[in-house]
Amino acid sequence: MVNVMKGILVECDPAMKQFLLHLDETEALGKKFVIQDLDETHLFVAVEILPILRERIDDLMDKLSFPLVEK
Amino acid sequence: MHQEAAILEIIRIARSLFLQNRSRMAALLSTKTLDCKDLHGYLKTLSSYTLDRLYNHPATCLAVFRELPQLAKHYIMRLLLIDQPVSQAVIGLWANNKYINDHRRAVQALTDLRIWYEKPLPGGMQGRMVNATFKANMKTALLGGGKPWTGRGGGVLPPDKNSRDVEFLDKYALERWECVLHFMVGSTEGADGVSRDTIEVLKHSGLMKVEEGDPVPYITPAGFQFLLMDTGSQVWYFILQYLDMTDSRGLDLVECLSLMFQLSFSTLGKDYSTEGMSDGQSRFLQHLREFGLVYQRKRKEKRYYPTRLAINLASGLSGIVTDSHRQGYIVVETNYRLYAYTESSLNIALLALFSEMLYRFPNMAVANLTRDSVRAALIRGITAEQIISFLKSHAHSEMVKQTPSLPPTIVDQVRLWELERDRFKFDDGVLYSQFLSQADFEKLRDFAKEQGVLVWDNTNKRVMVVSRAGHDSVKRFWKQQKNS
Repeated sequence: MVNVMKGILVECDPAMKQFLLHLDETEALGKKFVIQDLDETHLFVAVEILPILRERIDDLMDKLSFPLVEK
Repeated sequence: MHQEAAILEIIRIARSLFLQNRSRMAALLSTKTLDCKDLHGYLKTLSSYTLDRLYNHPATCLAVFRELPQLAKHYIMRLLLIDQPVSQAVIGLWANNKYINDHRRAVQALTDLRIWYEKPLPGGMQGRMVNATFKANMKTALLGGGKPWTGRGGGVLPPDKNSRDVEFLDKYALERWECVLHFMVGSTEGADGVSRDTIEVLKHSGLMKVEEGDPVPYITPAGFQFLLMDTGSQVWYFILQYLDMTDSRGLDLVECLSLMFQLSFSTLGKDYSTEGMSDGQSRFLQHLREFGLVYQRKRKEKRYYPTRLAINLASGLSGIVTDSHRQGYIVVETNYRLYAYTESSLNIALLALFSEMLYRFPNMAVANLTRDSVRAALIRGITAEQIISFLKSHAHSEMVKQTPSLPPTIVDQVRLWELERDRFKFDDGVLYSQFLSQADFEKLRDFAKEQGVLVWDNTNKRVMVVSRAGHDSVKRFWKQQKNS
């Protein structure tokens, strides 16, 4: 018996993977979306979550960066 | 008061560039780099019939010859005076085995450009023969003879009362060309000199687009990339697009190309006669005049001066330096400040594509490189590399004295901002898991690998991911396996 599932393979660095797992555990996006944790740098996630996920990552990057210049 | 007005003005330019296009850009997110062919690449796209006609003029033959790979040039020189086919085996012996790849490239280039063709020898062996038209005109080009190239039949022109020097021509050429760029960035200065034809070319090339109900075209991501290229590449790209449209204008491509190649062999600062030009070539000349490739005092004037832009044109992209005589004006500091010592609003509008404008003074402007401004540029399809090379090539002479000329922190940070945008790679796929036996898993994985559809696999966990496109064939294979 083989289990077949459609989704999206995400490749990223380990830190970002932890961020995704955190979003999944806390159900920050309203539901769980990680289908399978593959390895250090790979995750398999649900298709429909992609647009929200992209937005969230952008938000995170915005929070992570601080203005480097003074006016 | 005056200064305040200036600041408001620059904020207006920067903002309008940022905001006016943001929503439209969102729809055009596809990031593709501008495909800019060299001369060889362009000629390859022409039909064989056009190519054969093109070789009807010594200037075109010489221009094509100049751009051939080194080895191919040698071959042509050896074959030029031979009037019978030469066997391929003999040609193969001309190059040392060590350079077999160079040899192949040369053979390929000559075949692509239809400079030679295959012809069987009497003994049944395959030989090669140089294209007869090319041969005849190449001989003329090298050995002399034939009619004068430019201003054929016009004889010698009397000295020009209003003769122009090189300096004037350079200034004129850049002024005309910048009109086109001004029009693209949407600044009002000097944009009135842009004709319908130019706008058609810009639209055709995808550098600008027109939205329904809006008569003014707006710039696309490709257009932004175009703006950051150096002048030589810009002109070349633009002319390629122009030549693409010659049919719809009722111009003959071959006539235009041969005029273009003749111009490329003319001397800067010398005047040439328009006599002997065909109707189509005269029209083409008027267009070139509009872009600043040639200078003609009046439309009806019987003489014209080619400018640097035209003379460098036929060499395609390889090693042309048209910007060298122009002074660099940008100073970049490690604190992300940009100082632009320029009066041209075009230069400032270009900077505003990827920086945040702070102040503008009569002869300089100050801007900040920020994460937001660079990101906005990246979203529009401009790459970090383009930003860096733009800053590098327009660096102020004081900056150039340092090595490296740009502060490494800035270069690194701009690249990091770009990388930040793709920390993730998303691949549509199908996950196969919970295989019962290792043999089953390996069989299916090997099949997927063979088909080239395997994206990821882990033998220990018996999990694999197949691309969406490959799912059907893998599924079929699996069903067959189960049944047998």
